[in-house]
Amino acid sequence: MTHYDYHRPETVEEVLGLKRVLPAATFIAGGTDLMVRIKNRVLNPPALISLRAVTELGGIEDGEHTRIGALTTIDELCRHPLIAERYPLLAQAARRLGSRQIRNVATLGGNLCNCSPCADTATPLLVYDAQVQLQGPDGSRQVTLAEFFVGPGQTCSSPEEILSQIILPPPPADARTLFMKKGRVKMDLAIASTSVVLVLDGELCQEARLAVGSVAPVALRLPLAESVLAGQKLSSELSAEVARVATTEIAPIGDIRASADYRRQIIEVYLRRSIDQLAGIVQ
Amino acid sequence: MKIDLSFTLNGSPINTSVAVDRRLVDLLRDELDLTGTKIGCEEGECGACTVLVDGQAVNSCLFPAPEVDGKHVITIEGLGESDNRLSELQQAFVDQGGIQCGFCSPGMILSARALLNENPNPSQDEIREALGGNLCRCTGYVQIVDSIQTAAARENSDD
Amino acid sequence: MTELKYIGKETPRPDGPDKAAGRAHYIHDLSRPGMLYGKVKFSEHAHARILRIDTSKAERLPGVQAVITAENTPEVRIGFIRDNFALKKGKVRQFRDEIAAVAAIDADIAAEAIDLIEVEYEALPGVFTTEEALADDAPLVHEIDPRGRPRNDNRLPLRFHHESGDLEAGRAAAKHIASGDFSTPVIQQSCMGTAGCIAEFDLNQQLTIWAKTQIPFLAQRDFNQALADMGLAGKNARVIVSALGGAFGSGLDTHAYEFISILLAHRTGKPVKIVYNRDEEFAYLSPRQSSQVSITQGCDDEGQLTFREIQVWQDNGAYTSWGATFPTVMMLPATSLYRVPNIFFDAKLVYTNNTYCQAMRGYGNPELAWALESNLDDLAEAAGIDPFELRLRNCNQPGETTPMGLKVTTCGLKECLQTVADKIAWPQKRSQGKRRGVGMASLFHVGGGGRIYRSDGTGMILKLDDFGNVNVYFGGVEMGQGMYSALSLAVAEALGVKPEKIFINPTDTGTCPWDVGTHASRGAFMACNAAIAASKKVRARIFERARALFANEAKKNLKKLHKKNPDFKAADFDVEAEARNGEFELQDGFVFLPAAPDESWLRVDLSQLLRAIHFREQGEMITAEAFYDPPNELPDWEKGYGNMSATYTWGTQGVEVEVDTETGEVKILHLVAAHDVGKVLNPQTLKGQTYGALAQGIGYALYEEVLSEQGRILNPNFRDYKIPTVAEMNFPIDLEFIETNDPEGPFGAKGIGEPGLVPTAPAIANAIYNAIGVRIHDLPITPEKILAALKNK
Repeated sequence: MTHYDYHRPETVEEVLGLKRVLPAATFIAGGTDLMVRIKNRVLNPPALISLRAVTELGGIEDGEHTRIGALTTIDELCRHPLIAERYPLLAQAARRLGSRQIRNVATLGGNLCNCSPCADTATPLLVYDAQVQLQGPDGSRQVTLAEFFVGPGQTCSSPEEILSQIILPPPPADARTLFMKKGRVKMDLAIASTSVVLVLDGELCQEARLAVGSVAPVALRLPLAESVLAGQKLSSELSAEVARVATTEIAPIGDIRASADYRRQIIEVYLRRSIDQLAGIVQ
Repeated sequence: MKIDLSFTLNGSPINTSVAVDRRLVDLLRDELDLTGTKIGCEEGECGACTVLVDGQAVNSCLFPAPEVDGKHVITIEGLGESDNRLSELQQAFVDQGGIQCGFCSPGMILSARALLNENPNPSQDEIREALGGNLCRCTGYVQIVDSIQTAAARENSDD
Repeated sequence: MTELKYIGKETPRPDGPDKAAGRAHYIHDLSRPGMLYGKVKFSEHAHARILRIDTSKAERLPGVQAVITAENTPEVRIGFIRDNFALKKGKVRQFRDEIAAVAAIDADIAAEAIDLIEVEYEALPGVFTTEEALADDAPLVHEIDPRGRPRNDNRLPLRFHHESGDLEAGRAAAKHIASGDFSTPVIQQSCMGTAGCIAEFDLNQQLTIWAKTQIPFLAQRDFNQALADMGLAGKNARVIVSALGGAFGSGLDTHAYEFISILLAHRTGKPVKIVYNRDEEFAYLSPRQSSQVSITQGCDDEGQLTFREIQVWQDNGAYTSWGATFPTVMMLPATSLYRVPNIFFDAKLVYTNNTYCQAMRGYGNPELAWALESNLDDLAEAAGIDPFELRLRNCNQPGETTPMGLKVTTCGLKECLQTVADKIAWPQKRSQGKRRGVGMASLFHVGGGGRIYRSDGTGMILKLDDFGNVNVYFGGVEMGQGMYSALSLAVAEALGVKPEKIFINPTDTGTCPWDVGTHASRGAFMACNAAIAASKKVRARIFERARALFANEAKKNLKKLHKKNPDFKAADFDVEAEARNGEFELQDGFVFLPAAPDESWLRVDLSQLLRAIHFREQGEMITAEAFYDPPNELPDWEKGYGNMSATYTWGTQGVEVEVDTETGEVKILHLVAAHDVGKVLNPQTLKGQTYGALAQGIGYALYEEVLSEQGRILNPNFRDYKIPTVAEMNFPIDLEFIETNDPEGPFGAKGIGEPGLVPTAPAIANAIYNAIGVRIHDLPITPEKILAALKNK
């Protein structure tokens, strides 16, 4: 049993101040992952600094860029009208994250800071070109999500920094979007997931954004596959080609949840099906 | 290190203090002797420890006890009517065979309570969605879904 | 049969309200004054010599009250053939071997103390498959047997064998033959309530243990043996069963942690509680055994089965529990499901350094059904006969005695097959294309007890009081299956009182009569039969006393009536004379004369009559006891012969699936389960039990497997051990109960606790074959196996 101190600061300034005094302390937001790791003794922090009372880290702000407070719960993402309207992929992915009990407390910031390759909100945010704002003792900085994800469980933020906001640029106009996730059962960690955004002009694909999860050390965009699709006339042959190219851009591992081959297969099938479905191609 | 907490538990205000590294489920079961909340996995996978915090279903095994300060907590012990009677929702579980070994029942019923509070007339799919985080090994869930539909119908007919 | 008032009616279970209120008390919720918390130190190797155990740091930790190892406690041998020890000495044979334990004032300190115990090992090579275990130069899991004799291989000294007819003649007569090797994985019972117990000694050295068990009386025997091993011969273990939180076979044997609690409680003189957390439940409790089954079946041109040959290999793990006798139940369908004249069955068990296994619902039957019913579809294809038709042609019949000597009293298999075919729309949905298909599979199981021990009996005590309450004492266990419901309805029906006047007391070896255990789908069958027998005695005694006492009570009623209503005109009736005849009836808690059933003053409240029997000179209280031991035989397992059960149960399940051939996903579209249940006791609990069994069958078919690597369990949690959630159980299910009214069954009922999960997996596999033409041989049927099979097609 791990024993730890618990702190509940109410402002970002207090958070950062506490962290300066307690450098070994761990931040806790929803805690749905952290509490499990503490129970399993994967983590043994001397103190937790809770972000839950820091109201300035919550809320969803409209504007040219949408700013989502890191403390926004997954359930809020599922329900927020602005998210549903402008960033439907994020809402779709949020609905597939864990159980209702988990979604009620798990936060968007927490999902990203775990930096798990299977984080459900990662692929939608990647295709929406999200940036994250990090706040530290020396001020704040903004990095792209791709920069933020360094490796499994590893982000580019320094130990003194917290993730305060997720910033979403306006989505492409008239985009069609689809999120797909494969688990062993419906409610599961993803063994593979895909987010697809297409902007179509008749049969022409004007713009394509593809991101995949659970098939590389971090969730990632697929620039090569996107380039094969962008500017081309849509067809079932093209979808298949894009999906095949996508499998060359990933590096899945095999573990007790799925083999590497199976993850690759799912990525290929899901990307092809997503593109076909969004393009209205009937198999 | 202990922390003083003031919160509302099953409708009544309560002041208590608890070691800061306890979880809500420990506070309920060990300190307050409310053993209706069950421990099934301690990882948020089974839902046996589900309680309502400010009306929302949460896994009390993942909920740090200090975070309930100022909140409203409802456990299975707080659902019943006065005079030692079951609530309509609990009674529906009894009437429709939604209970077998009973270990998942408190958590299952609280997930259902949260659902019916926000959606008094849920579809089968909405019920299934709300119960996704509550494992049951006895029932195959069929009569649990029936129970919640029955409860919804009865609660709506009362209005 | 007279009309049934309670049996067969949809009735909520009596234990429901407290469970709905969170007021049922599971082992986790119990505590005793002064109680300590026990925790076990488990092995960190699958096979290793223990060189040194240093407990000194743990002993010094404040709050620790005892640290025990095999070195400082008496040797307590456990297990079906006593090849296991409460605490291991010298070497460990599996990852979960218990090598030390602590008792501390709280659970945190106990856990901390466990971490402070230092163990030094010398790793030994291990064996992790039956093949490795049987190799000539295989390391021995046990160097000596329980009697101290040297062992020279890893085979268990248990043999399960059956031969009947002439196998070679059957093979020669076959025009079509199908063979296959099938395997099933280790799976976990996954009770929502984990295992645990509290052990407490009094100052007379008598033990009370609150246990999560399905076998309180066999546990008492085991614990008493342990007390003798501890130098407390003649002392007694009283076993009390709290609310169970599910069992599914996990409570069918005693466990090392129980003996460790006993040792700790005795060492400290305080109550000691050990409760497993979920990781411990997965990693250190005995799961369902894996199996490897080789099967060959043949039939003639008409589709009549001519022979069946089955060889079973079973990885027993490192020690032997009751679960090792799985092949006894495998033998039932192997010899007796469908009519087969020539049969060979043999099962061999081997020790390995894997976790040792135990019982789970169905007990060998789902494993054998997986092979038999999958292979039968292969045979049907080889013979060019529709699989439904093939099954019908070989269908069992009432009145037959099977090659194993099983006497079939009633048999609803034909109706089950036909019902499934009708409900699943067999011919239309068969080979429908679009990667959709239907399949079916049947089952055969004990339904009237299962004699695997010298007694298959159950006792029943009915104790009536002055208020007309009926206190029921019986030794079986309510673990969620609905035993209390069946039993209260049976007593109400058989005795003639209202169900709300029946109180079923907690199972306690100190107060309840003996029962062999709640297993083999025997609970309701046995309890209700015993209840009927005891009720008969109660009625006979009440009616006997009523001859002298009834008339006076009836006259009191009449007097009261007259007081209330002076104009009341009683019918002209010689109550003394009628009562002396001794012909009475008891219904809904009223005793009356059949000659005047409706005359209100001639209906004497049972409580009133009981008080008249009690409060008089030479008065008496009405208590009756019965012991029901069914008409069945303990089979000879080496010959594979003997009528193990008083009746047998049958069933067929049909499934429609759709398979995604690119992702390998199997979607169940429709499931029909038709079961011969003899008679429905309570439709609500029967449906509940069957739905639940189907969910377990689907888990077994598609999702569940305890993964291990060199004996270490890799997925000891619900995150990576997936049981079906409500999302997976989202398809139409038709339950069809066939009532065959078995003559030995209570009200005609057969045991039905296990059957629901037996044929589910092969029915799904057969549907998958019909949909996409690939045969999966190894459970679970994962998407990856489907894709691999499609690739190899």
